[in-house]
Amino acid sequence: MNWVWRSIKGILITAVLFFFLFPVYWLVTTAFKKSEAWFSWPPSLVVFQPTWENFLGSEGEFFGSTTTAIATITPYLRNSIAVALCVALFSTVIAACASYAISRFRVGGMGFVSWIISIRMLPPIASALPLYVVFSRLRLVNTWWALIAAHLVFTIPFSVWILLTFFNEIPRELDEAAYVDGANTWQTFRRVVLPLSVPGLAAVATLAFIQSWGEFLMALVLTTGKEAQTLPIYLGRFITGWRIAWGPLAAAGLVTMIPVILFSLLMQRYLLRGLTFGAVKG
Amino acid sequence: MKARTSRKKITGFLMILPLLIVFIGLTLYPFGYMIFMSFFRYSLASWEKPEFVGIDNYREVFRDRTARSSVDFTLLLLVTAVPLEILLGIGIAFLFRDSLGEKVFRSVLLIPMMVPAVVAGIAWKMLYNFEFGPINYFLTLLGGEKISWLGTQFFSRLGVILIDVWQWTPFVFLVIYAGLQSIPRDVVEASLVDGARGFTALRYVELPLLRPLIWVVLIIRVIDALKLFDIVYMVTFGGPGSATHSYSFYIYKVGVSFGWDIGYASALSILLLIAITILTNLLFRFLRFRETLEL
Repeated sequence: MNWVWRSIKGILITAVLFFFLFPVYWLVTTAFKKSEAWFSWPPSLVVFQPTWENFLGSEGEFFGSTTTAIATITPYLRNSIAVALCVALFSTVIAACASYAISRFRVGGMGFVSWIISIRMLPPIASALPLYVVFSRLRLVNTWWALIAAHLVFTIPFSVWILLTFFNEIPRELDEAAYVDGANTWQTFRRVVLPLSVPGLAAVATLAFIQSWGEFLMALVLTTGKEAQTLPIYLGRFITGWRIAWGPLAAAGLVTMIPVILFSLLMQRYLLRGLTFGAVKG
Repeated sequence: MKARTSRKKITGFLMILPLLIVFIGLTLYPFGYMIFMSFFRYSLASWEKPEFVGIDNYREVFRDRTARSSVDFTLLLLVTAVPLEILLGIGIAFLFRDSLGEKVFRSVLLIPMMVPAVVAGIAWKMLYNFEFGPINYFLTLLGGEKISWLGTQFFSRLGVILIDVWQWTPFVFLVIYAGLQSIPRDVVEASLVDGARGFTALRYVELPLLRPLIWVVLIIRVIDALKLFDIVYMVTFGGPGSATHSYSFYIYKVGVSFGWDIGYASALSILLLIAITILTNLLFRFLRFRETLEL
């Protein structure tokens, strides 16, 4: 009976993997399909002659296929990189200071920690509207700064939770030893604790980067033009046409997706800690 | 000694200060503004000054048909997609455990969850395409009819639910899987010695140990399902008609794309916030803060 059970298990695993990977497979292959293969029946499940023309551009056969992903993507790519890098930097610095204070001095106690979690739970649409009003008074709508500020709100709680579990694993005796040697709190934090937490800080920065990189709703409300719009908005605008140029769209999607996938695979341990508020160590 | 502890307190406070500034400026202030505005008639699209209307905006929510249908659809997500994700996630965690290549599978299943929702939306929109989509192709291979996935109320709702399941089952799976790994081996082995067989051990030993974790995932999923937006925007844009308006999408429509009606959108947002606050408080019961914080 053992082999029956094993083959059932094998079939189930294959089915699960197929369901979860096929959409990604379809996106990746479409990015390399020639324009006549975007709309074909039967759909081309395998790409025999991959092409770069969706990325590099070419003289298309029908109207609409000449504007290709890479040709118009650059300002959005630049905005995405700038915003995500700033978010990663600020969010890491702010969260590192705060989590150290919580971990070592228990500033604010349970109430404070609960508050941070409840901020992670806030619906972005609810904060997007008031933020739009505030930023429009400050004349910051359609700038990087508006987006960076808005993204910090939901990357910081996530970062705090990862760093909290991280700092708690660093033995307190090390801090004590530094105090005995005459260091003050700030010096202890900078010279002793931070160097030991480089992996955690790297994880937090990377994850903040990808959260900001893929964020859609805030960017949709707070930006209006290509001076500040990010890649997801570019993709969102691309899709509202009467005839969608699937190839370049998939190519742009691929460009948006690749850094996220790479970074999240690298940081998967910490990812779970952050997502579950430390309930899982990963 | 006392001077030192008070200096530590000051340093501690200074260290959380940047976080406080960000959160107060970017969450407390806007929410105060929103509560205030929810009692006014105010639209950014017109030049009129805000006009106090009392609880009219809230009354309007209960009369508004589209709001009603967006609540229906969101509740539908909660009773279909979320339980399905939990069950599938737990099932897959047990399925993949101790199988060949479990590490690889785990990493691979991270992908649907991490792909930016906008990109996932593009992929699924291609899959659902009526004329040329691969899903309809597979259906015809199996002898079925082509389905107009995004054209009818039933199928477009099903379509959105399916994407949500695709995106978030991996999350449940990863959490439960990590939880399973943290159950000490000897607990399970002891139960086997006591005569428990495969499924009995699972049912009476492992699942109860996982229960707190399952609650945590469930509540996080419920809260996030209440906020569904990106997928709807990308794949159906709420259509056909208002069939797949999620609650967040409806707020977006009221507040941004249809006339910048800040007053009414604020009232809708406040109601969502109340629901989420209740759920978040429920979540706190299941998170073991004390362990994480070593308080």
